[in-house]
Amino acid sequence: MIGKERTERAEGTERMQKAGKRGRAWAVALAAVVRKEVRQTLRDRRVMFLLIVAPLLQTVILGYAVDFDFENVPTLVVDLDRTATSRMHARRLLADHTLQRQPGGASVTTATAELRSGKAAAAIVLPPGLERDVLAERPAEVQVLLDGTDPNRAMVVASAAARYFGETAEDLLRERLARAHVPPPPVIRAEPRALYNPGLETAPFMMPGVMTMLLVITTTIVTAMGLSREREMGTLEQVLVTPIPPLVLLLGKMTPPLVIGCFDVFLVLTAGVWLFGVPVSGPPAVLAAGTLLYLVCTLGIGLLISSVSKTQQQSFLAGFLFIMPAILLSGVMTPVQAMPAWLRMVTYVNPVRYFIEVLRGNLLKGAGFADLWWRLGALGMIGVIILFVATMRLRKRMA
Amino acid sequence: MSEMAIEAVGLGRDFGAFRAVTDVSFSVEAGEIFGYLGANGAGKSTTIRMLCGLLLPSRGTARVAGFDVGQKPEAVKAAIGYMSQKFSLYLDLPVRDNLDFFGGAYGISGRALPRRAAEVTELCGLGGLGPRITGTLPAGLRQRLALACAILHRPAVLFLDEPTACVDPQARRLFWRVIRQLAASGTTIFVTTHYLDEAEYCRRIGLMAAGRLIALDTPAALKRAYVPGRVFLVRGENLAATTSAVRAQPGILAFEPFGAGLHLQAEPALWNEASVKLAVERAGGREVVVEAADPSLEDVFLAALGRAEPAA
Repeated sequence: MIGKERTERAEGTERMQKAGKRGRAWAVALAAVVRKEVRQTLRDRRVMFLLIVAPLLQTVILGYAVDFDFENVPTLVVDLDRTATSRMHARRLLADHTLQRQPGGASVTTATAELRSGKAAAAIVLPPGLERDVLAERPAEVQVLLDGTDPNRAMVVASAAARYFGETAEDLLRERLARAHVPPPPVIRAEPRALYNPGLETAPFMMPGVMTMLLVITTTIVTAMGLSREREMGTLEQVLVTPIPPLVLLLGKMTPPLVIGCFDVFLVLTAGVWLFGVPVSGPPAVLAAGTLLYLVCTLGIGLLISSVSKTQQQSFLAGFLFIMPAILLSGVMTPVQAMPAWLRMVTYVNPVRYFIEVLRGNLLKGAGFADLWWRLGALGMIGVIILFVATMRLRKRMA
Repeated sequence: MSEMAIEAVGLGRDFGAFRAVTDVSFSVEAGEIFGYLGANGAGKSTTIRMLCGLLLPSRGTARVAGFDVGQKPEAVKAAIGYMSQKFSLYLDLPVRDNLDFFGGAYGISGRALPRRAAEVTELCGLGGLGPRITGTLPAGLRQRLALACAILHRPAVLFLDEPTACVDPQARRLFWRVIRQLAASGTTIFVTTHYLDEAEYCRRIGLMAAGRLIALDTPAALKRAYVPGRVFLVRGENLAATTSAVRAQPGILAFEPFGAGLHLQAEPALWNEASVKLAVERAGGREVVVEAADPSLEDVFLAALGRAEPAA
């Protein structure tokens, strides 16, 4: 009885020792894979460029170039009235620098030609008899011709013109009422006051988008190509005859991009705060958690891509095939709410969408776990599922 | 324990409807150099991949270093070394980082790793190459580095899949010197090769054709079995024109080009050097020199394939 117990205990200890030994061997193997990956990354100038210089360049370029605040839109004034009134309106309309007068625009025909050639983006046509109609207190129409190829810019011009002539009409009405000694009517005016981004600047809105895009581009493609390269070089087979379990290999391969991804976030955020005044108003823990979960997703997608492609080239192309729609369907560029319902459904499985919401909420609005928990949860779930499917597929292909 | 280092019983593997390997059985003793020969696509690599635990057998079983390849592939992997014809190394890393990685992959850590790396570097003649980028090494050195990486963990069985492809003869000789040292110290070597002269280094040879093991024995026994009679090396001028006439003589078993001359295989009772010379000269050969030669494995290979084909 005692003897049996002792053997059982001895067996148990032996089993534990075996498990401990195996765990130690795995830790040694994992350390070896990580060491090797780090060395390869440090030696590969192209990858280093992709991971460190490219993010900074993109931050600066996108930060300065992507700007939806339109100013100085080149505009033609087609003054067919040629009176003091028409000249005064033209001058006042251009006064706030939203529109900038371009030379030319003798007639509507030449103005259209110049819109077509791209020399101007809008033309304000002041009709003949404008002064006469205004003095006679008759309605007048000012035509605004717009280059609609860029809808955003066209909308800016249209609203600038509408606002100016609306205010002018209001002033005329007041004058008329004053002359008739009638007190002016009560006016309801909208007083917009923007929270979180009071200046309505583009950079604080875009910078989280830049971070989201950078991370998905660098980490997904680097991971996908890394594994394909090993397959191409034959080193994957060589590694598979060693006792390293495929999971340990994948984990080791994911570590450097994970670290570099976190570093990139730090880098871009610093540049964003410094150059573009991006606020960091939320708890940093949420930012860190969101970044980690997002990276798990993007790395998992990289592995998934490498599990379906044979060569580095295929991985690279597949990476872009995924990235383009993922970014467009995320709300980075255009709001998700503006998409048709069936496309909006797709955005629910898009990790990019959740991360951009976490970033904007956290950085700009100061949102914490209480506001963002379900988005973090969604990121985590997507990440775990993708990683699971990818490792399953790769294990099957490797075995 | 008298357990065999490798023991395959009825091993087979299909890829879809294609039978890559059919009913292969053999065993290899510990410390033996075992050569595995066959044309491209004969099933050599498939066999090796099954024995390394990279590919599951469709039929049959195999035990390598005491572990079943189907049931305990992880234990098999820890006990073997594998080197492929591609010398799969990280070409962008220096020599020492490759050793460091593969050592870690086999669970060697701490101070044992650099010590063991220095040992295999010495054994494989790679001294002083540590900082060199692997991709800049000539093929011969790369081959020995791949070997060094495969033996870091002192494997009981070493699999070499066409280890000397694209390597010059001098490097091949150096490589085989290391292999023989390893075998002498008890490592079992399983090697596939295209070079029949290399097969002479093996204690026993298995010949594969169309997925089957068609012959298996020591080189000497194979030669006796497949190349009966005496072999003469015939050199001279205008020999090509003489072959059909000489083959027609009684007691001539084969007359085939070999190296710079021809190998003539004949019944020992009927032929000697002088009579062969006379026969070849009569058939039109000039400046004929005949000397006794050993049958080569090439003779064996051709004879064995010739016998196997009608059956297949």
